[in-house]
Amino acid sequence: MIDWFAFILVLGSALLATVVVVTTYSLGIRLLTVSGRTPIVTPAEFTDAITVVSPAEAKAAAKRAAKAARKSPLSAGQKRAALIGARVCFVLSGAAALFGIYLIVPVLHGLV
Amino acid sequence: MELTLIVVLVIALALFFDFTNGFHDTANAMATPIATGALRPKVAVAIAAILNLVGAFLSTEVARTISGGIIKEGDDGVLITPQLIFAGLIGAIVWNMITWLLGLPSSSSHALFGGLIGAALVGFGVQAIDFSVVLSKVVLPAVLAPLTAGLIAYTATKLAYAITRRYDGKPDGRDGFRHGQIFSSSLVALAHGTNDAQKTMGIITLTLISVGLQPVGSGPETWVVVVCAVAIALGTYMGGWRIIKTLGTGLTDVKPAQGFAAETSTAATILASTHLGFALSTTQVASGSVIGSGMGRRGSKVRWRTAGRIGVGWLLTLPAAGIMGALAALVATIGPIGIIIDTIIGVVVISGIFLWSRRNEVSSSNVVSEVADSGAAVKIKRNPKPKKKVAP
Repeated sequence: MIDWFAFILVLGSALLATVVVVTTYSLGIRLLTVSGRTPIVTPAEFTDAITVVSPAEAKAAAKRAAKAARKSPLSAGQKRAALIGARVCFVLSGAAALFGIYLIVPVLHGLV
Repeated sequence: MELTLIVVLVIALALFFDFTNGFHDTANAMATPIATGALRPKVAVAIAAILNLVGAFLSTEVARTISGGIIKEGDDGVLITPQLIFAGLIGAIVWNMITWLLGLPSSSSHALFGGLIGAALVGFGVQAIDFSVVLSKVVLPAVLAPLTAGLIAYTATKLAYAITRRYDGKPDGRDGFRHGQIFSSSLVALAHGTNDAQKTMGIITLTLISVGLQPVGSGPETWVVVVCAVAIALGTYMGGWRIIKTLGTGLTDVKPAQGFAAETSTAATILASTHLGFALSTTQVASGSVIGSGMGRRGSKVRWRTAGRIGVGWLLTLPAAGIMGALAALVATIGPIGIIIDTIIGVVVISGIFLWSRRNEVSSSNVVSEVADSGAAVKIKRNPKPKKKVAP
């Protein structure tokens, strides 16, 4: 006897979890960019490892981001709102992941 | 006396298998964040080891599948002997060794199941195996899980790119996904611990049940959980150093946004499957995600030849390891001498793996994982232009 429902359950729950986490995180990045704080992440080590940005490239990217931020049509208040929105999204993303783990660990159910 | 010796032998071998699993699979979780510069290698490896340790404590569903499901035990079934489990493990390790030598993509988890099933078939014949459990908890998940992960990763990648896309050419901030990768790859390490460490727990529990130290149908004892968790964490930590040395030579082009989507999909798929007791191959799920997320990028084209080669390697694992396990079981059923012969073969193969890994320390071909390999199955054009244009 094959429990096909279980497979659908795995697909559904994993899809839901992934979509929630990725969407909130992406929205966070979008809002962060809108608020004028484009994330530039310089790699700590291994600068020569294939697709990694070089320090010079990172500098150029930061410059471009700053330029784009200066030209932004948004008011200071709108930017602040976007920044808050971005942070809320990141927190939601993390919370969704933690909630998913909570759901599948029976031990935790007694604690909380 | 001989009985206890064989039990100790099986437990030692199972833990060794667990160790090599962690050793081999650190790359799956941590290669991307290290390569995109999201994490410093030392930090990445330490996080992976700790989360593997934690993950091993989270669930016992998969362990129960192995100890209580695949092989019929108890009154209406057969009583598997530690000798046969031993033979199964030897079969799995030998097959792992062969695939490593030939550079074939494989799954140590399926090698384990194959070996065990092969050994049980030789020992007791067809009635020993609960084929419905094998089909519903091992074979079907093996086929469906990578597809599921791929589909989810495809969707997630599309989403991540669509949400952050800017048609006005301003910076899109996708660099920020590097920070996200720290978390997503940590989730993968956690998921790896939950699924893979449990396979060893299941084997040890099955052994203890077979000699009557544990009632039929019971879950793993606490000490079993602890030693398995420690073994896989140690393996992860030790394996990580090798990856650090070999990194930077051959990784596929995985962008932060794509990596984030792929890793989230991998973690979600593994965790959900673990919860339902599906014993799947974490390597295959991760590979499925990498291919799916590659297809989710604009201008991507699947290299069916490479994808096919990976798929064939996967399909081959279960039956091939089964044959190895069956052969080892044939030898083991001779008696004590058979066990000694198996042990000698095992020791030779294990030291062979060790020597081989030392020799290849500086090449990435067999270390930076089949997951990175599977990225090659998708061809992506450099910077294709977004189709929709905004009027200036």
